[in-house]
Amino acid sequence: MARIELSRIQKRWGAFWGVRDVNVEIADEEFVVLLGPSGCGKTTTMRMIAGLEEPSEGEIRMNGELMNDIDARDRDVAMVFQGYALYPNMTVYENIRFPLRMRGVPAADQNAQVLNAAALVELTDYLDRKPSALSGGQRQRAALARAIVRKPQAFLMDEPLSNLDAKLRQAMRVQIKHIQRELKITTVYVTHDQIEAMTLADRIVIMEGGAIQQIGTPDEIYNDPSNTFVAGFIGSPPMNLVNGALERGIFVAQGIRVEDIDSTHSGQVILGFRPEDCSIGGSAPQVTGEVFGVEPTGDITYLSLRTGDVLIEVKADRDYRAELGAAESVRIDSKRLFLFDATSGERLN
Amino acid sequence: MALARRSRGESLIVRYLILGAWAAVCLAPTLWFLSIGLRPRVEIITPQPIYWPTWSLDAWRQLWEQWPMAKYLRNSMLAIVGSVAIDLVLAIPAAFSLSRYTYRGRDDIGFYILSTRMMAPAIVAIPIFFLFKNLQLLDTVWALMIVFAAINLSVVTWIIRSYMLDIPKELEDAARTDGASDLRILWEIIIPAILPGIITASVIAMIFAINEFLFTLLIASTPNAYTLSVALANFTAGTDGVIYNSIALVAFIAFIPIFLVVIAIQKHLSRGLTMGAVKG
Repeated sequence: MARIELSRIQKRWGAFWGVRDVNVEIADEEFVVLLGPSGCGKTTTMRMIAGLEEPSEGEIRMNGELMNDIDARDRDVAMVFQGYALYPNMTVYENIRFPLRMRGVPAADQNAQVLNAAALVELTDYLDRKPSALSGGQRQRAALARAIVRKPQAFLMDEPLSNLDAKLRQAMRVQIKHIQRELKITTVYVTHDQIEAMTLADRIVIMEGGAIQQIGTPDEIYNDPSNTFVAGFIGSPPMNLVNGALERGIFVAQGIRVEDIDSTHSGQVILGFRPEDCSIGGSAPQVTGEVFGVEPTGDITYLSLRTGDVLIEVKADRDYRAELGAAESVRIDSKRLFLFDATSGERLN
Repeated sequence: MALARRSRGESLIVRYLILGAWAAVCLAPTLWFLSIGLRPRVEIITPQPIYWPTWSLDAWRQLWEQWPMAKYLRNSMLAIVGSVAIDLVLAIPAAFSLSRYTYRGRDDIGFYILSTRMMAPAIVAIPIFFLFKNLQLLDTVWALMIVFAAINLSVVTWIIRSYMLDIPKELEDAARTDGASDLRILWEIIIPAILPGIITASVIAMIFAINEFLFTLLIASTPNAYTLSVALANFTAGTDGVIYNSIALVAFIAFIPIFLVVIAIQKHLSRGLTMGAVKG
């Protein structure tokens, strides 16, 4: 299938920068997720790969071949859209067959290919329906079938699950990953949902303000964030980030004192720690404050602790309960501490 | 509970009464026209009111025997259908360009097309007369076809454009990545999706065309090119004086087909007439 390289890609509309200096190499058969908040440039980047948007600068290559001047219809990529983009005047069968017709696949082969693709997404019984007579999940599967029917060089998926409910989203996630592994087609997937990114991706590209913040496997992104943006974006609830002073391995902020930090830095820093790396109570507490909120969810309870003007999120046992306003203390796993520069937000340790 | 049910029932009756009264006001001229057409001529010009008229098909018979009505009808149909066909052939690609591509001056061009509708028809009447005279097309249905098409092109373009703007860009992007060319996208995706808009624009153009009088009178000078609307004028200027019941019948004949088409597509029509109200 395809190896995709983006070198120094930029996209500007007048004075507005949509994408700045994006460099990514996507290996053959790899599943790469572009993750970031709305307006971070992830969809624009994908549209440039598809040929639906022209880069202002930089090069897009597929299998080494320069793609910049090649029209979308000649790029041999298939795209799945957030709103499904099924042709409303055609049945599911005709929708799936459309790319085969457009690419001149012999009529005799079309039927078999359509039936194969429909079977792969379990849509065989709905082939004669119009999209308006399908549920959200079925529409999504029809869109998926239309993308996989001609075995393209690459799949491009633009938030394909964002219109589905949580349960269906989980089921479709599994299906998409399964199909991608089975067909071994290079896939670029855009989402703002970190769970989708973490579960689907071989590698995640985190974007913000049109620029790449970090590229890495889901484990690397979660356990080794390169800056405060990545640290604060990944994880639910996200990592606690506290401004304070670091001197000779001791971090101090209002209500927080953490000793024995393995760092030679001194001055103003940001201390980061994840809610699951905290334990409540115990001797020699590092964080003290008052209970601001307790949220039992069944399998886990979230504690919000107010220290000074910051709220610290802690994942507690499912049985944990406390009165609002009560004093509480927390210890942090010393091996799971992150230090960031107070000005640039870049990782220090 | 019973009180609430009764008051709901009463409010429904009031609503139907108001709507019924309004429908009667709207239909009255049409029914009055029909009644004039179906009465003997003497009953129409008498100054005393007649409460129990005599019904007669004299005017109907006279219409078909003394006037080339079939020719008028044929001319009207040819000119109208032909003009709508010309409009659609020109307006669909123009609307596609105005709604789907980005280029310098696009909105100005769109406004220029619309502005042709704002001009008073009398301003261009003389140049149009000489244009068709030089083309030797005076007194032909072809000239009417072209003039009707030119008059309605801007409205048809704008209605179709407004429908095209409502089609999600994603559909076009999907077709493009699926390997479709621009022409294929227009033909296979956009046109089927805006069919209600095309029908609406066509009917509105038909209504304007059937009501067109000035240019038809200018171009048509014999029954070769007379349409129903100009034929009406003939009934006022002959040696028989003003033939009111024939006028009424012809007006009714011209009204019925449009009336039926409008009823059939009224859901789409209201959307076409309010275009621009929510989207420019």
